[in-house]
Amino acid sequence: MGNLLEHMGVERDRVHFSWISSAEATKFVDVVKEISEKVRALGPNKKFVKDYN
Amino acid sequence: MADKDIKIVSFLCNWCSYGAADLAGVSRMEYPADIRVIRIPCSGRMSPKFILSAFREGADAVWVSG
Amino acid sequence: MEYPQAVPLKYGINPEVCLKLTKDKCGTCEEVCPANAIDYTQTEKTLILDAGAIIFSPGFKPFDPSKFDNYQYVNYPNVVTSMEFERILSASGPTMGHVTTFPKLPLNPKKKADKLLAEKRKDPKKIAWFQCVGSRDMNKCDNPYCSSVCCMYAVKEAIIAKEHAGGDLECSIFFMDMRTPGKEFEKYYQTAKEKHGINFIRSRVHSVTEDFDTHDLQIRYADEMGQIVTDVYDMVVLSVGLEITPETKALAGKLGIEMTANGFCKTDSFEPVTTSRDGIYVAGVFNNPKDIPESVLEASAAASAAGDALSEVRDTLTKEVAKITEVNVVGERPNIGVFICDCGSNIKGVVDTAHVTEYAKTLPYVTFADENMYACSQDAQDKMVEQIKEKKLNRIVLAACTPKTHEPLFQETLKSAGLNKYLFEMTNIRNHNSWVHKNNPEIATQKAKDLVRMAVAKAALAEPLREEKINVNASVMVIGGGLAGLTAAKSLATQGYDTHIIEKKEVLGGEALKLFKTAQGEDVGERLAELVQAVTAHDKITVHTNTTLENVEGFVGNFKSVLKTGDKTIELEHGVAVLATGAKSSEPTEYGYGTDERVIRTLDLDKLLKENDARLAAVNTAVFIQCVGSREPLRPYCSRVCCTHSVDNAIALKKRNPAMDVFILYRDIRTYGERELLYKEARELGVIFIRYDVDKKPVVTIEKDGLKISLNDHVLNRPVTIDADLLTLAAAIVPRRDERLANFFKVPMNDEGFFIEKHAKLGPAEFATAGVFLAGSAHYPKPVNEAITQGRAAASRAATLLSKKDNLFTSGSIASVDAEKCSSCGVCISICPYSSPRFVSEGRFEGKAEINGVLCKGCGLCVASCRSGALHLRGFDTNQIFSQIFALGEVV
Repeated sequence: MGNLLEHMGVERDRVHFSWISSAEATKFVDVVKEISEKVRALGPNKKFVKDYN
Repeated sequence: MADKDIKIVSFLCNWCSYGAADLAGVSRMEYPADIRVIRIPCSGRMSPKFILSAFREGADAVWVSG
Repeated sequence: MEYPQAVPLKYGINPEVCLKLTKDKCGTCEEVCPANAIDYTQTEKTLILDAGAIIFSPGFKPFDPSKFDNYQYVNYPNVVTSMEFERILSASGPTMGHVTTFPKLPLNPKKKADKLLAEKRKDPKKIAWFQCVGSRDMNKCDNPYCSSVCCMYAVKEAIIAKEHAGGDLECSIFFMDMRTPGKEFEKYYQTAKEKHGINFIRSRVHSVTEDFDTHDLQIRYADEMGQIVTDVYDMVVLSVGLEITPETKALAGKLGIEMTANGFCKTDSFEPVTTSRDGIYVAGVFNNPKDIPESVLEASAAASAAGDALSEVRDTLTKEVAKITEVNVVGERPNIGVFICDCGSNIKGVVDTAHVTEYAKTLPYVTFADENMYACSQDAQDKMVEQIKEKKLNRIVLAACTPKTHEPLFQETLKSAGLNKYLFEMTNIRNHNSWVHKNNPEIATQKAKDLVRMAVAKAALAEPLREEKINVNASVMVIGGGLAGLTAAKSLATQGYDTHIIEKKEVLGGEALKLFKTAQGEDVGERLAELVQAVTAHDKITVHTNTTLENVEGFVGNFKSVLKTGDKTIELEHGVAVLATGAKSSEPTEYGYGTDERVIRTLDLDKLLKENDARLAAVNTAVFIQCVGSREPLRPYCSRVCCTHSVDNAIALKKRNPAMDVFILYRDIRTYGERELLYKEARELGVIFIRYDVDKKPVVTIEKDGLKISLNDHVLNRPVTIDADLLTLAAAIVPRRDERLANFFKVPMNDEGFFIEKHAKLGPAEFATAGVFLAGSAHYPKPVNEAITQGRAAASRAATLLSKKDNLFTSGSIASVDAEKCSSCGVCISICPYSSPRFVSEGRFEGKAEINGVLCKGCGLCVASCRSGALHLRGFDTNQIFSQIFALGEVV
């Protein structure tokens, strides 16, 4: 999946997979923060977005 | 860029990560408001099409969590 | 509210400290509560209930170590109890899951003295656990029993503390015997040692002193060689035992329930959940110290015992719920009603709910939107029903808390408004929004709007779903005629279900036939004969001895099995199955077993004792060796029953002949619960216990005039040799690994061949496969009372399913096949973990896939894997998920 998207020009850090059990609230929050940071570093996605105009 | 402009489409398994997100709420933890949760019955429900579609609709990132 | 998992999750007033109740001042909470839920006039009320049976499960209190002056729990801030440490590790605890010294100080202290102490706060580098605080101790606390759970929780706490703190935290557990006799527990203990590097130190700590300035703790203890060691730790955790409170003892006394000297309930090994008072049953720690799975088993077992006693009057007090006819909405244009819940200030305090409500009204297909202060309150629900009817709403969206707890409640509301309960979509603007973004109301409001828009888009595509009725054949097949199987069969037959017992051997009774006495002294032979007699005479039970199982087809409620007795085969239709195939003693390959008749196994000694064999009279020195084949790399589990069994037999030998020398060579003595009293009695009778290490096992030399057993004495630290004329080996207990049976019912086994239950803690008597239950030593080795408890528990779980046979339905949210599109590739059939999809065997769609709705769990794996797009998951269909994605895309 990552390869396909990269091929299309979508950066790796825009797709994340993780496994969190229902008791791991702390891990959940950590993962959200981590993803959010990475994505903010990349800025908004411009590739492959449907063009409404 | 402004914080609120980021959108992370998140597919969360009803039994695992969705529960963790509930618990994070119960525990009043704080985290960035960038995620938009789509509840799925199991991460097995996921299909690559959903991820592609999310990007097509302008998502800045996609997160799948079981 | 004591903890965030409390049920119901509601606040209460502590009348001892409430100013309004004690001094008639304050009253602020009544003024500020928007729901007017505060009522100071409520008082204690006496209710009189008519009940046919009582289940008594009053629980325990953790031991209070305040009175131990040597550990200074009261005075030293860094000495905590294990219960407090649990809270420290918890993310919702006082330190937010952060392991820190001075844990009892507030996170941001206000008092000056607290502030000074808080400056000394640090992440501990060394933590010590002291075991048996308030257990196995007659000198200081009069609790001679073992609390059964502390070894495991200490190991768990140490592992989690290391995980939280990172690599350099040093954890040491000071113990007397490491007691990890539960299923998968021994492996956990070994992992703790080898992988997590936790230190296990065999010693009882003498005293703790505190550094006046740093508050570090200096501890003094004697190591195994008898040398006094002093060491400094940052924190000490006291592994406190379980105690029955005086209140419980008084209540039990009032109820006329007989208790042991330690205040636990007295029960018979063959009726392990029945108290001395007719009609009162018992479960949990009050019936001896125990952990979660055993408490769960006892709870189910107590329910089965009560069910047996009341079987004649079953269903005589049932009231029917009036059914409301469903309105047909198929083909109607979606008429969506959106309800936004304020949850008091929980949501409204952050999210601008009025704005979200107005916004919702602008969304496609939405014809009505309303805001509720508490959508889950009774009056809000009644109002909702009115509004649905009045506005002819046919799809409902609720933005509130989590569907995981509240969806069923609102689905009931839809039902009473005449709507199909699947025409409902719930979105979580509390747990996932207002609670976690409380400092960002603007963004939270925006997020709530997005979530509502997504939910509305999905709801527009919702279809009414049907729940199909499942036909259940109300008969039972029990595989295995040992104690557990017999018990399960007897209970189910008593509750009116036709029951078949399949036994491979000629006679019923299983391994229990070889046992002499239980740990409580009951004669196993006598009691087992009574049980077999009762089962054989029962008109609802059919016994198939000399019978094997040849094939099983079908699923819950509809199994078809082929039984073979001699040359005859018969087909049996049954709704559920109980697997109770048991376990047996292994054949030791060491200590000269098989080469000399003076080297025997535990069960052989039982036979000698049972038959009062003349050989015993000639024995002057008897030796027991424990853990023969258990707790070794080949079998990394503890066989659970052997310590108690050998100690019990040692006592029997000593009582027959007090002059006999009796030795027990052991690694850890695991006489959990009140079995510890037997260990004490054995020592008092003069039985000598010598510990050995697994890498320095005893050496047995067989000579004509006696057996020479040499090993290193752990107290004297020098080699000793015992001249014995009887050596009993506590041989490991091994399951009857049966791959065929496991395949028949699609149930898993662990590496050692024990069956794996549905859930290690919460589902110990059932399998993940619906309609298949588990009892006895096929689950894990267990003594008589525990096998019977699990037999009853399996019966109870099975009866729960069977008793619903007239109103058992599939879920509506399951997969379905569009046969026109199906390409018969078979991917769904191979991928489904629950074996639900299959090929249609005849008719127009022969060869196409179809879904067995009874087995489908609605996970959607097959839907995602279907390359033809022929599979749909009702309630989470592909177009619904796309609609949510599109709805999100609309404003980006």
